[in-house]
Amino acid sequence: MNRKTSSIRQREEIQGYIFILPWLIGFVVFVLGPLLFSLYGSFTNYNVTSRMDFIGFDNYKRMFTGDPLFWTSLYNTFYYVIFMVPLTTAGSILMAVLLNQRVSGTRVYRTIYYMPSVLSGVAVYMLWMQILSPETGLLNTLLRLIGVEGPAWLFDPAWTKPAIIIMKMWSVGGGMLLYLASMQGIPTQLYESADLDGANAWHKFRYITLPMITPVIFFDLVTSLIGGFQIFQEGYVMSQSGDGGPMNSLLFYNLHMWNKAFEVFDMGYAMAMAWILFVIVMILTALNLKYSKNWVYYEGGDNR
Amino acid sequence: MKRFGRPLAILLVLLLSLSMVLAGCSNSEQSEQPAPPADQGQDDGEQAAADTPKEKVKLDFWSFWGSVTRRPIIEKMISDFNGSQDSIEVKYTFVPWGDIWTKNLAAIAAGNPPDAIINDINTVAHRANQKQNTNLTPYLAKESENIQDRFFPQLWEAVLFNGEAYGLPFNTDTRLLFWNKEHFAEVGLDPESPPQSWAELEEYAKKLDKVENGKYTRIGFYPLWGVGADIWMLNSDGKNFIDEDGNVYVNTPEKIQALEWIVNWRNRLGDKTVNAFQAEFGSQQADPFISGKVSMMVQNMNFYTQLRDYGKDVKYGVTLVPEREEGTGHWSWGGGFAVEIPYGAKHPEESYQFIKYLTDVDAQSYWAKWGLDMVANKNAANDPELQSIDVYKVAVEAMDKTLITPTPVFAPDFIGLLNPQIDAAVLGKASVQDALKKAQSDIENLVKSNKK
Repeated sequence: MNRKTSSIRQREEIQGYIFILPWLIGFVVFVLGPLLFSLYGSFTNYNVTSRMDFIGFDNYKRMFTGDPLFWTSLYNTFYYVIFMVPLTTAGSILMAVLLNQRVSGTRVYRTIYYMPSVLSGVAVYMLWMQILSPETGLLNTLLRLIGVEGPAWLFDPAWTKPAIIIMKMWSVGGGMLLYLASMQGIPTQLYESADLDGANAWHKFRYITLPMITPVIFFDLVTSLIGGFQIFQEGYVMSQSGDGGPMNSLLFYNLHMWNKAFEVFDMGYAMAMAWILFVIVMILTALNLKYSKNWVYYEGGDNR
Repeated sequence: MKRFGRPLAILLVLLLSLSMVLAGCSNSEQSEQPAPPADQGQDDGEQAAADTPKEKVKLDFWSFWGSVTRRPIIEKMISDFNGSQDSIEVKYTFVPWGDIWTKNLAAIAAGNPPDAIINDINTVAHRANQKQNTNLTPYLAKESENIQDRFFPQLWEAVLFNGEAYGLPFNTDTRLLFWNKEHFAEVGLDPESPPQSWAELEEYAKKLDKVENGKYTRIGFYPLWGVGADIWMLNSDGKNFIDEDGNVYVNTPEKIQALEWIVNWRNRLGDKTVNAFQAEFGSQQADPFISGKVSMMVQNMNFYTQLRDYGKDVKYGVTLVPEREEGTGHWSWGGGFAVEIPYGAKHPEESYQFIKYLTDVDAQSYWAKWGLDMVANKNAANDPELQSIDVYKVAVEAMDKTLITPTPVFAPDFIGLLNPQIDAAVLGKASVQDALKKAQSDIENLVKSNKK
């Protein structure tokens, strides 16, 4: 009896492994392999074609002591993440709350606001470069209507990153959809009993809606934090000749890494940079996970 | 634990895919290759069976010229080559501009590169340093003619690494001053004598400015329209920012003077005027020079084709870029491309025959006549038919004092340290002295860390 169950178990175990084998192979060949390779590469002067000598921590040392652009790129990336993440999160929640109202035509509005998230790639950047054009762009033309002379956006180093953050706000529709779905799932009894207790709209939002969507906020926060650190195209496409914009104000971490890898062919250094970014993001995510206990509410209890 | 699973998995996948892009792009590359060696083997077999005395060597030639104007020219050159002999057959592969260098790099790393490629002339030595292209010395040594005499000397210099050639120059360009003769006549300047020095340029420009109701409606000249500040810094003394030995010439009196000159220009016209003008710049009919909004402009020589096609009514002249002071030299700047054999190419001897043909007079003058590009071959550039075009004639004259700025082996990415400082000075965020001093020391550090 005992032996029989264990043999069934074993068989099922083997079958299980066979089922996940494609993923395992893919993971080892395409993820783990390159990952370990890049870890080793970061300790060499690898240049893709002719060199791969072990040089110890030289790349890391050079990064922290001899490369001013490393710090510039790190600063630019942090600046972007620190503003982009809270702003887009707040923006999507706000949008979701507005579109969660029962008014006629909500479906149309939802579609309209979600639309920008469907568009992607270089075309959007081109569009925004026109919107942000200092003299004839739509944004500054509108600002002029209310008597404000807008900055030169992508040409003024102080305004390039805010310009990109504004652009990101345009596509909060993706996050909005998540929040909307989560809000639709909030039991109406909660609101009804709050009504009986005489709660106003703000109270209902603050004490019912917000706690109920914290798991989604958490998810959104973690993913957009990670996504934020990967910013690359914006700096590459939206600056003249892809060099990182006026005064290197759009030289993001990944753009600098790309330049080191494919312009300078200092692939070892670029790999070391990738690992530093990995460590930074890992630490931030771990902190996020640790402190999430304090504010993320799971209806099913803590042990989920 | 479940709730931790998802974000972590996404984190892993996203970040690891990043390192994959860096490490593993050669994987996808190989499959996209049409696998020429296999074809080759088959052909060998067939041809041996058919008892052909000579088997044709097939070469794969890559370039990014795929437009309706360029592609037919390069394809005609290739078919001429294929028809001229019966031992080599070249196939043309168009690879888009955004992909060609990374694909080439991956193909070299995978040991299966194209047989010849058009690549940036400024980075030939940089690639040679990484063993990405083939040393041509053994093939050049076998020649009875001296191949290097074909080319403008600075272009030949640009393809050398440790004194040996790793590519052959293909084409280049140079900057020239275009001026509007009608505007000159209108304000009482001699339409046939353009400014020769920076001082004259400024003097003429002030006369050519047109102000109505306190607003500029025409600007005589602005140094940063058409070229960057770095070009004026090169023009000031005819010296590159870094020489072959890794000496840095950024914070020099001449270059400081050049940048100060530009900053003064911006201060005189004012940011607002400059930005307002710049925002309306377009191409073709909306080009500021063609539409008459600007009277003088330093432009790439091939601006000529725009004038020809869209500015029939503009009466213009073209001359060398003005010099800093009399005698400092009308220095100009050019880029360009070289044709090289990637490292590990299977038939270097045949590849060499092909790139030698591409840079010979016939092919080069064909390219020059159709593209109106400055070609690397001196004899082709001096072709009488081309010399009858005014712009081309002046451009060939300018080649004497045209600097090529090869990427220094010791500091391949120094421009990333220089440009932000130039930006800072031009935007008034730092003084010229401070900016260039900082750039000088940053670049010196970079050279030092790479020289070890």
